[in-house]
Amino acid sequence: MIGLVAVSHSRALAEAAVHLALQMGGDAPPRVRVAAGGPDDDLGTDAVAIAAAIDDADTGDGVLVLMDLGSAILSAETALEFVAQPGRVRLSPAPFVEGLVTAVVTAAGGGDLETVARECATAADAKARHLGADVGGPASGASSDAGDRGDEGALSFEAVVTAPSGLHARPAAVFVKAASRHDAEVRIADLETGADEVSGRSLLAVMALGIRQGSRVRVSASGPQAEAALEELRELFADGFGEG
Amino acid sequence: MSGSVSTGDLREWMRAFRNAVHEHKDELTRLDSEIGDADHGSNMARGLDAVIAKLDPVPATPAELVKTVGMTLVSSVGGASGPLYGTLFLRMGPVLGTRGEVDADTLGAALRAGVDGVIARGKTEPGDKTMIDALSPALDAWDAAAADGPASAARAAAEAAARGRDATEPLVARKGRASYLGERSAGHLDPGATSATLLLEALRDTLAAGE
Repeated sequence: MIGLVAVSHSRALAEAAVHLALQMGGDAPPRVRVAAGGPDDDLGTDAVAIAAAIDDADTGDGVLVLMDLGSAILSAETALEFVAQPGRVRLSPAPFVEGLVTAVVTAAGGGDLETVARECATAADAKARHLGADVGGPASGASSDAGDRGDEGALSFEAVVTAPSGLHARPAAVFVKAASRHDAEVRIADLETGADEVSGRSLLAVMALGIRQGSRVRVSASGPQAEAALEELRELFADGFGEG
Repeated sequence: MSGSVSTGDLREWMRAFRNAVHEHKDELTRLDSEIGDADHGSNMARGLDAVIAKLDPVPATPAELVKTVGMTLVSSVGGASGPLYGTLFLRMGPVLGTRGEVDADTLGAALRAGVDGVIARGKTEPGDKTMIDALSPALDAWDAAAADGPASAARAAAEAAARGRDATEPLVARKGRASYLGERSAGHLDPGATSATLLLEALRDTLAAGE
């Protein structure tokens, strides 16, 4: 599993943000290290301390670094000159809190460094979409239960989510991981809310649907391995994602 | 010895810079409170105190000295000046190589590598209202005067730095915390360009004393 480092001007800010993020980490969260605060416990950043935190967070699968602003970014860049394995360290452009939460969830879900970095890069999108939807009024399009509005040629199935937490956190991560394993374009729609269907390969997008226990969803897939993808995903739903 | 600069000279330079920053600490902090987060003077003073403590005994070579200075600054300053000034010194090391003493051309080339490192680290260019606005013209002046030896080169560089610093006053900041202020950052000297000028004036004074 990849490791994470939280870099902030303020130790209190970093520790609180990590605490918040780790609530989403489940039973096996990633290793998260904090490098925050300057000398004299004042506000500030320290490139040498950041480098040490990166080395400490690296269990062999690489490290993603989340930063707040200003000198946190400059110091993190400088720290890359001192770390043991700079080739497997990424600095994320994500906003600090959203990035940490996304990183913890996607790392705990088994995402590799590139996957977690990619998810974090769009960590602010869910908030923007949410606020945009508020501004623009309720989302259009009521649910179309048995609808067959998927792409032409796409296969699909419908299922009810039985996991107590819905399709959230770990179940969502399991779903995305399975969907990403196949050469297929997997999409998922929440038929209760009628929200636009989203890519089944994006953990954040799936989580943003907020699919609850008891909700009916439609999973569709197209591409060379669409059938295999759906078969595996159908079994996950039948099994309640191991949480039923 | 007017043609070369020793490790001991470089340590004197750092001492002079530390003293100048302490002397101008309130001024630097005041400038930074007008357009930044009001910590430049205290951050630099703290970082340079740590540097001076690390330079006793004096390192074996100029390259080792600048590496020690750089590592201490990235770790002890706290604000953005830490990685920026730290990078300046860290990048000088490879140019200085294993030499025991350096001439004006070599020191100028090392400073050039350092300033290029700052530009790359800060994604900065001249006119952004940063320390680069003092350092870039200073290096050009250094190169033009290097044939007359390091003391002359440092004198020319310090003058050019001061002119560059003064020219930051009307500029609108495009980097760092000051850039959040937009047009309101105009009308103030840039704190980074001010401390960078102190750096070159300290070098000028140190090398003049050795002439």
